[in-house]
Amino acid sequence: MTGVELVGVRAAHGRDDVLRGVDLVVERGELLVVLGPSGAGKSTLLRVVAGLHPVAAGTVRIAGRNVTALSPGERDVAMVFQSHALFPHLTVADNIAFGHRVRGLRRGSARAIASRAAAVVGCEHLLDRRPHQLSGGERQRVALARALVREPAVFLLDEPLSNVDGPLRERTRAELRALHDRVGATMLHVTHDRVEALILGDRVAVVRDGRVEQVGTPEEVWRRPATEFVATFVGPMNVLPGDGPWRGGHRVGFRQEAVRLVDDGVPGRVVRVEVVGEDAYVHLDVRSHPVVARVPSSQQPEVGAEVCLEVGELHLFDASGTRSV
Amino acid sequence: MSKKDKQLWLMLLPYLVGLLVLVFGPALVTLALAFTEYDLIGPPQWIGLANFAELATSVPFRAALVNSLVFAAVAVPLRVALALGLALLLHRRAPGAATARTVATLPTAVPEIAYGLLWLWLLNPLYGPVNQLLRLGGENGRTALGTAVPAWLTAPEDARAAIIVMSLFTIGEMLVVLLAARRALPREVHELAALEGASAWSLARRVTLPLLSPVIALLLLRDTILSFQFSFVPALVVTEGGPPPYSTTYLPLYVYRNAFEYLRYGHAAAATLVVLVLTAAAVAAQWLVIRRYRALAGPPRSPRVPPR
Repeated sequence: MTGVELVGVRAAHGRDDVLRGVDLVVERGELLVVLGPSGAGKSTLLRVVAGLHPVAAGTVRIAGRNVTALSPGERDVAMVFQSHALFPHLTVADNIAFGHRVRGLRRGSARAIASRAAAVVGCEHLLDRRPHQLSGGERQRVALARALVREPAVFLLDEPLSNVDGPLRERTRAELRALHDRVGATMLHVTHDRVEALILGDRVAVVRDGRVEQVGTPEEVWRRPATEFVATFVGPMNVLPGDGPWRGGHRVGFRQEAVRLVDDGVPGRVVRVEVVGEDAYVHLDVRSHPVVARVPSSQQPEVGAEVCLEVGELHLFDASGTRSV
Repeated sequence: MSKKDKQLWLMLLPYLVGLLVLVFGPALVTLALAFTEYDLIGPPQWIGLANFAELATSVPFRAALVNSLVFAAVAVPLRVALALGLALLLHRRAPGAATARTVATLPTAVPEIAYGLLWLWLLNPLYGPVNQLLRLGGENGRTALGTAVPAWLTAPEDARAAIIVMSLFTIGEMLVVLLAARRALPREVHELAALEGASAWSLARRVTLPLLSPVIALLLLRDTILSFQFSFVPALVVTEGGPPPYSTTYLPLYVYRNAFEYLRYGHAAAATLVVLVLTAAAVAAQWLVIRRYRALAGPPRSPRVPPR
């Protein structure tokens, strides 16, 4: 049985088409990350699944049930918002217990359930605090606990890590993944952060302009990107037009780390070198095309030097940007 | 004093002069007059606390005091509740909502005297549309339930009710404030409640009202202060302080009559001071309640919503 299934979903914001025919399947128990730039329609996709945004056409199924016409409250989904959307007037415990209280559970039992959910995400010591007394990371945990307590058919996470900074963000990301593995829930996670997508997702769906460009495991979208857009969005890539030094007629892409500086090969001139710790990003001018190579900083060339380069794996795209083998 | 400070003071000066000459000056004079007898013809005579002693035993003053307090206690909660209900109903971008918002704020824009004269016609016991409506379906000039129609302008209780009814339609300002406050609430908290399947009632009770409570508290305070004033024009124009005995004589009308009709400026000044003290006491009492509530609930703060 599938967790979530979207068939030919279209949605609009006023007169603007935001989703232009999305087909997507999230397997049960899978963590699928929707990755795309701002304005690609990621959040709208999530809101369509939640029932917070109307569909213009198409079908939404959750756990095999057609929910297209159902209200948000009837869909059995829980959402974690980017802003966390904690109720500022309620304690952490009351925030987590909110759903159960609304459905008429007594305060005592709701609180017991809430403290169990809080323990799962490690925020049981915060139960009596109010949202304004919490840090960004703590709020994020509380928002997660509030979603967990519902035991929904699917979790919808709208950029939940974007309000958490720095090292804490990496830790929270790892915890989110661990949490998913522990509870085995179906999760649909939206982000514009490619690292987050590649680390977190069982599979990644890359969206652009209201369409899904590719769905695949993180390795698939990295190693065999279906389009030039996917290739450049999941990680930095050099893309040269058809008249470049490699494979005439195709647009040619290769990763920065696929470039090696060698004694004999395609000639290029070093324009600029940026050193980030162990890595050096060497900006090259190759027959008037910009190329970036990532090499160990111990091997960085001088600016202005004439070097030769050799490229490992090539990705070929046709004029429309689709992969051609 | 720096040049910038000088400029600031210079710009403030016209306002400060106006405040001093037009507000604080007369207020001090009033304070002084409260201890005198003054009829605008002879010079003020110092009579100590005699004015206050007279107020304490004055039947019309006591009536005005009770009327004003009852008016505030009934009209203020009703006005705020009505504005709140309308705001929750009309904040959406729905067809007709914009028109309804305009209509609801319109009576507040009508000049007070015109508004009063309008009600004089509306409430006329014989040909006024209000009673004609109430008589619909009834016989012998009674309502459909067989009860007598209210004598808005001639029966004491009905006249007091009329003044309260009139005050219920001038809630435009409160409506505007509450509409803005409702719209400023983050969309996510309501969406979250929708995902939990919250009913309209539990949404209002558990989310909307608590989040709006700081604004509601502020409006209650403000309307209490104002309520000691806005009974003046209706009482003057529509019911003329009657029917006897002083049924709709409120404190402002009492002060007005004593000063400008009976030329008892000292007595009126003393009554004004009592109104001032009463207003301050009412505000202080409400403030204490609110502060206690806030201490329980923590400082009101809406969740930060990052830009999309």
